[in-house]
Formats: sequence, structure tokens, C-alpha cells
Amino acid sequence: MRLSESDSSALAGAQRHLSYLEDGTTVMSWLNTRDHKRIGVMFLAAVLFFFFIGGVFALALRMKLLQPGPFLMDALSYNRLFTLHGVVMIFLFLIPAIPSAFGNFVLPLMIGARDVAFPRLNLASFYIYLAGAAIAIFGMVHGGADTGWTFYTPYSSTTPTQVLPILLGAFVVGFSSILTGLNFIVTVHTLRAPGLSWMRLPLFVWGIYATSIIQILATPVLGITLLIVAVERVAGFGMFDPARGGDPVLFQHMFWFYSHPAVYIMILPGMGVISETVCAYSRKNAFGYKAIALSSLGIAFVGFFTWGHHMFVSGQSTFNAGAFGILSMIVGIFTAVKVFNWVGILYRGAIAFRTPFAYICGFLYFLVFGGMTGVALATTSLDIHWHDTYFVIAHFHFIMVGASMMAFLAGLHYWFPKMFGKTYPEGWGLVAASLIILGFNATFIPQFLLGNFGMPRRYYQYPEQFQALNVASTAGATLLGFGLLIILIYLFIALRWGPRCEANPWGSKGFEWMTDSPPTTHNFDEIPTITQMPHDYRTHEAPGVIGAA
Amino acid sequence: MPHELSSAAGFEGVPEELIGHHFSSLGRQTEAMRLGMWLFLATEVLLFAGLFCGYAVYRFQFPLAFQESSRHLNISLGTLNTLVLITSSFTVAMAIHYARTDKPRAAALCLILTILFALGFLGIKAVEYAEHFREHALPGKYYAAEAVKVPGAAMFYTMYFLMTGLHGVHVIAGMSVLSYILWRTLQGRYSSRYSVGIELGGLYWHLVDLVWIFLYPLLYLI
Amino acid sequence: MAESALPAKELHQPEEHGGRHSAVPYFVVWIALLGFTALTYFTGTAHLGPWALAIALCIAVIKSGMVALVFMHLKDSSGATRLVFATSLVFMALLLFFTVADVATRFRLATPAGSPFGTERSQPAGLLEHELPEEE
Repeated sequence: MRLSESDSSALAGAQRHLSYLEDGTTVMSWLNTRDHKRIGVMFLAAVLFFFFIGGVFALALRMKLLQPGPFLMDALSYNRLFTLHGVVMIFLFLIPAIPSAFGNFVLPLMIGARDVAFPRLNLASFYIYLAGAAIAIFGMVHGGADTGWTFYTPYSSTTPTQVLPILLGAFVVGFSSILTGLNFIVTVHTLRAPGLSWMRLPLFVWGIYATSIIQILATPVLGITLLIVAVERVAGFGMFDPARGGDPVLFQHMFWFYSHPAVYIMILPGMGVISETVCAYSRKNAFGYKAIALSSLGIAFVGFFTWGHHMFVSGQSTFNAGAFGILSMIVGIFTAVKVFNWVGILYRGAIAFRTPFAYICGFLYFLVFGGMTGVALATTSLDIHWHDTYFVIAHFHFIMVGASMMAFLAGLHYWFPKMFGKTYPEGWGLVAASLIILGFNATFIPQFLLGNFGMPRRYYQYPEQFQALNVASTAGATLLGFGLLIILIYLFIALRWGPRCEANPWGSKGFEWMTDSPPTTHNFDEIPTITQMPHDYRTHEAPGVIGAA
Repeated sequence: MPHELSSAAGFEGVPEELIGHHFSSLGRQTEAMRLGMWLFLATEVLLFAGLFCGYAVYRFQFPLAFQESSRHLNISLGTLNTLVLITSSFTVAMAIHYARTDKPRAAALCLILTILFALGFLGIKAVEYAEHFREHALPGKYYAAEAVKVPGAAMFYTMYFLMTGLHGVHVIAGMSVLSYILWRTLQGRYSSRYSVGIELGGLYWHLVDLVWIFLYPLLYLI
Repeated sequence: MAESALPAKELHQPEEHGGRHSAVPYFVVWIALLGFTALTYFTGTAHLGPWALAIALCIAVIKSGMVALVFMHLKDSSGATRLVFATSLVFMALLLFFTVADVATRFRLATPAGSPFGTERSQPAGLLEHELPEEE
């Protein structure tokens, strides 16, 4: 690492300063903070809470599905539960999780900045998120919507359930998403340390940058779409009312214009985490750095061209169906590029099989299989059979849970020492990871089979012959939930009573590890000059590395 | 009102409370603020894009209804509103020019003119809306205008009210922004050394004008 | 402190352009905008049939271009801000393109209530004699 003399001594001097956790211990010092690290931690706490809530909804659903007939709850409650499960998991967990929690904490450290470009806007973004969540919770407490998280019209504009607070909650949370993306883009453009050119940025930064582009361009369209449905509910006139010549498929176009790129918001940061952790735990430079970096941008842009694959059976024209089908296949190429490069990093690496690495393994396996089923679903003729069945559910859960959530857990364990200066118990980490991977397989592989056999999604009752697979899926879900609970417990214990760790327990070459763990409030006494490559594990003994960028 | 001026490297002479110390210089900070504002304007463009999309779809499906209903809008008032907004864009550009050339009083005057033009726009719009209410040319299921009874006329007015309504909300928001920067101008915050705040406020107002530049022909002139 | 290797662009600082910051471009653009508004008013009210939309949009693009480049100083701004604005327009076009393409290429029977039914536009080419819709 080519840190200058003065920088090294500046870092040593930083040891004497307070960490960001100790610098102000009142509640107000947290609630009124400008520090991106504290905001990241607050976001982390919030998203973990909503992950728990969404998980509770999921388990409740799966309990009902143990029996093919009426059981535990009525049909309307079932509809409310799957709607809320989707809304909470997507808007309150997956979309903000990695960017607002880890992105906030780590991105400025990675580029040698003292904070994000607009610290007060960052804090505002957190409170806007809480406000949106509060509005949605208000709706949930009063029964919640029963439309599915996709709010298709005309049902969503006419159903008497509490759609409005859920819509408005999602609308407000969207603002938080936009402001976070805005902050990150400006940060990466204007606050990079001297010497840090674009092609030296850590791959996590590329992932967050690409995510932020999607957040800026796509979220407003969701905003206006939900707003119009809200107006239609409240004022009685709207763009989607068929009786007045309105076209419900237009709602779907506008909704999916956001919601398809939204799934890339949910996966790109995770891919960034995987890039970082794959390099760290195989102690190798990034094979195909440029390909991985630019494919993030590729996914961000091409992802906007594919939304119609959610509408193959909705009545859109054949021309559109064909175009979207082909474009949806093209977007898979960028993910494939990444997977090949990650495998290239792992090849001949000095693997350290720690908990994050277990999640990396899970991620790669689930991303590949989930992604391939996505390409299969993009085939219009096949989707006629699979649309709105459990096949689709299994596909997106493979990506959103199998890939995205596991990347989140990998990041959580990788950066836990950086954020809190403590280590988690490695043994329990591996136990939990195993339970989660096992439980995940048991939950969702049966769902692929169920969908292929024709079991529709969002159905309260199902034919008896599907019961065995449903029971298996519920058992898996319980195991999955149990594994996650274990993580919650040992992380809390580690946080309160765990052993203090050194500044860089992984020996990672990530730029964020140049600071203390946990870092001081201002990150750096003096802004470093960064001229070295990212993820640079070359040593005197092994100066030549396969695929050095 | 005296401001404590900074002597920090790269920020000399700028009031202390306007500086973000995580930036290396005022130039960097200014660049960041401009980029941030343009990103926000991009989100506003995409917000209106949803409504333009709906307009495009329904105009394609109901061309005659849209044409007929458009003929019944008050084109004189619409054109007048266009001239008002264009002139308000000019006055806010002049306000920024005066702020940057150390003429805060002229800047304040231009901002006041801009706000008055904005009020004028809203007033004219209110007159138009009153006329629509009188004719029962209302959106969706409330449409009962005698003049045009073609299927799709109700959808025209739905789009008309949604688009001009959202635009009106932005005019009001823009007026709040203008009032804020007027207040800061009167406090002497902006000068040739630091004017990015008033620039950003002006940018938002120009966006409001940009949207109307497209709304006007699409609603009144087809 | 290490000076930035990526210099901030000192954009439109009037003193550094060597000379007074002029208000003339603003006047010129304002007059031009008024002129183009008159033009679009007259071409719009002339109801030029299929060309009306194209002409109106062209004029609107020119007007908004002037507002963006001069009033909003896009022509003096960094590449990043220009790219941001251009990208937002491209993605708006993308949204409109596929959505309008959908309604434009659907089968006649899939269009909603009240839309042109049996008119020239919604008739596919090559209909047989007995398939043509009856004249109202």
C-alpha cells in the first residue's frame, strides 16, 4: 500500500481520537447527526427491523399454505398478508438495505472522503424513509391493502381496503430512495480523493453508482403512477378507469417501467458486495475489473428496456412482447459476465472460508440458477404457462433472497468489524449460513416444481395434490427463519459483549480498511492520495496476478 | 446582516455557514450543488414523463376527441400564460445575473417580479378552471360538457387536469423556492463570490417553465 | 493539504471570463422565446393536420433548448450535468416509445371502449371483402 509517510502518521494519530460511536453519546447526537456512518447504522437498524416484519408476514403465509383449504385465516387476510409481505420486503428492506446502510457507511471511506456530498440531505433521506414507513404501518395496522404489491388497476382503485396509506407510504419512501441515489452520484463525481480515477474505484462503488442511476431515473415514474392511483381512489377520476376509456395495461407499463429496474436496484449493490468479498476472501485482484465495473452500468441501462416481460399475458401487443422478450435475454448477459469474472477471481485464490464466503457460495449458486430461470421466463411462449404461478415466485425469490439477501448478509459480516470494532462468533456464523442455505433450498425448490405443475400464485386455496410440496416449502421457510434468527442473536451479543478486534481483521486491501475500525467521525485526519489499484493483493512474492486490471 | 467570513483554504471570503468542509474548495462544492440540482431536475422530468406517456397513449387512441376538446380550451388565456411564464424565466435569469454582478437590490426586484408573474399564472389558471367547472368539462366520471360528447373527451380532461394540476403544484413549490431565495437575497447572502444558492432556485423555476413549454402546444394547439 | 488532481471546473465565474458578465444573451433569448411562441400559436391554430404535432414539438424543443442552454447555463456546465439532463430525456422517450408502440400495434379488438373502431387507423391491411366493417 503506497501511503505516504505523513498519511501513516496521521492514521496513527487517529488512534487517539474518538471513534464515530463514541463521539457524542446522547440520543440527540444520533438523531441530529450529519455523520454518514451513524446514518448508515440507523438505516441498518431500520431495515433489519422491517426485514423481520416482512419475514413474519411470510411465515404467516406459509403456515396457512400447510393446508389446501381454509386454515388459520380467511382469504381476505391472506391477500392482505402477501401484499404487505411484498410491500415491506421490497420498499422497506431490499431497496434501501445495501445502499442506505452499507453504501452510506462504506462509500465515503472507499473514495477517501470525509462524508457524502450532502450530509444533511442524507439525514433527511433517513427521516423521509421513516415517515414513509410510518404511513405504511398505519395502513397495515388498519388492515392493509389486498391488491398485491403490484397494485394493478382497476382493482387497486376500487377495492375498499387500506390501499391509500400503503400507496402513499411507498411514494414517500421513494423520495428517500431518490435522495440517497442523488447523494451518492454527486459524492462519487466530486469527492473522490486525489489520484482516485474512475478506473481505480472499488467495485462496490461502481455497484452503488449504477444503482443510484436507476434510483434517479426510475423512481419518479413509480411516484407519478402511485399518485395517479391515489387520485383515482380519492377524487374518483383517473387515467386507468376502463369505463372512461382508460387502459389498465397503461398502469402496468408505467408501474413496471420502475419496478423492473427496481429489481436491479435490489441486486446491483449486492453484486458490489460480492465483488469486494470475493477479492478479500480469495486474496486476489479483481479478474476483469473493467468488465465487472462496466457491466454494472450495462445492467443499469439495459434493465430499463425490459419491463414488458411482466406483461406477456396482460394484453400488450405482440410486437412489444417480442421486443421485450429479446431485450430481457440481453440483460442477462451482463450478469453472466460478472459471474464468470467472479469465478475467475476465485480460481487459484487463497480461499479463507469464513462466514461471508459461505454467503458468497450461496449467492453464486442462487444467482446462476435464479438468473437462468429468469431467462427461461423471458421466453414468451414458456411464460404463457408460468406467468402468475409459483415458478415466477421461486425465480424472484432465488434472486431476491438467495442472491440479494445473502449478499446483504455477506456484507453485514464482512463490515461488522469495520462498523463496530467487534468480531462475530465465526462458528455460529457458519452454522447460521448453513441453515439459511439449506432452508432456502427447501423453501423455494419445491416452489419451482409447484409452479411448473400449475399452482397459481396469490391463491388462498390450492388443489390437494400440491400439499406435499407446500408442506416442504413451509418447513424450509421455518428453517430459513430460524437461521436468520440465530444471526440476529449472535450479532447482538457480539455487539454488546463481543471481543474488540484489530483495524483490519480480514487483511483486506479494500480502501475502507485503511481507516480505523470503527472509524473516527471525520474518517481521515488528512485526505489520502489514492493511486493504487483497488483490491490489490499482489505481493513481492507474487507480483504477477492472473487478470490484474 | 454581517456574516462570519471563512478564511479556510479554498473558501476565502465565503460566509462560514455556507461551507461544507468535506469539500476541498468552493469550486468543488459549487460543482456538487449544481450536479445535485440537475439530478433532482432529472427526477422531475421523469415524474412528468408518466403523465406525458398517458397523454400520448390516449391521444393516439382518441384523436378526434382530443382535438375537439382542445378547441374548447381558452387558447388566449393559455397563450397569455405561456408569455407570462417565459417572461418569468427571463426575470429570474436576470435576478441571478444581478446577484452575480453584485447588484442585490436589482436581483431582489427581479425575484419579486418573477413571483408576481407566477401568481399571475396561477390566477389565469384559476379563471380557466372556473370556466371548466361551469361547463362541466371535468375529468373522468364527472365529465358532462355539452359542447363535446365524443368518447374520450372525458379522458382529455382527465389528462388536462392531471397535467396542469401537477404543474400548478410545481408552480406553487417554485414560488416557495423563489420566496426563500428572495429572503436570502435581501439578507445579502449572494454576491459575485457566492451565488450558487440563487442559481439553484432559478434552475427549479426554469424547469417549471420547460414543462409548460410542452404542455401548452400539447393541450391547446392540437 | 494534498491538492486535488482532478481540478474543479471554475464555471461561469464572471470575473474570470475577463470582462463584464453580460445580460444581452438573456434579452435575446427572451425575445426569441416570445417570437417562437407566436410562431407556434399561428401554426397551431392553422390546424395543419398530421404535421401539427411534429411542428409543435419541434418548436417546443427549440424553445426549451434555448431555456436550458442559456437561461439554465447548460452550455457552460460540466459534461456530467449535461449528460444527466440528456439521459432523463432519453429515458422519457423510452417510456413513451414502448407504451405508445403497444397501443399502436395491438389487435383491433384489444383497444378500449370508445376508441376508433372500424376506422381506417385500426383496420389491418389485407382484409378480405366480407371482413371489412360495415359503413356506419
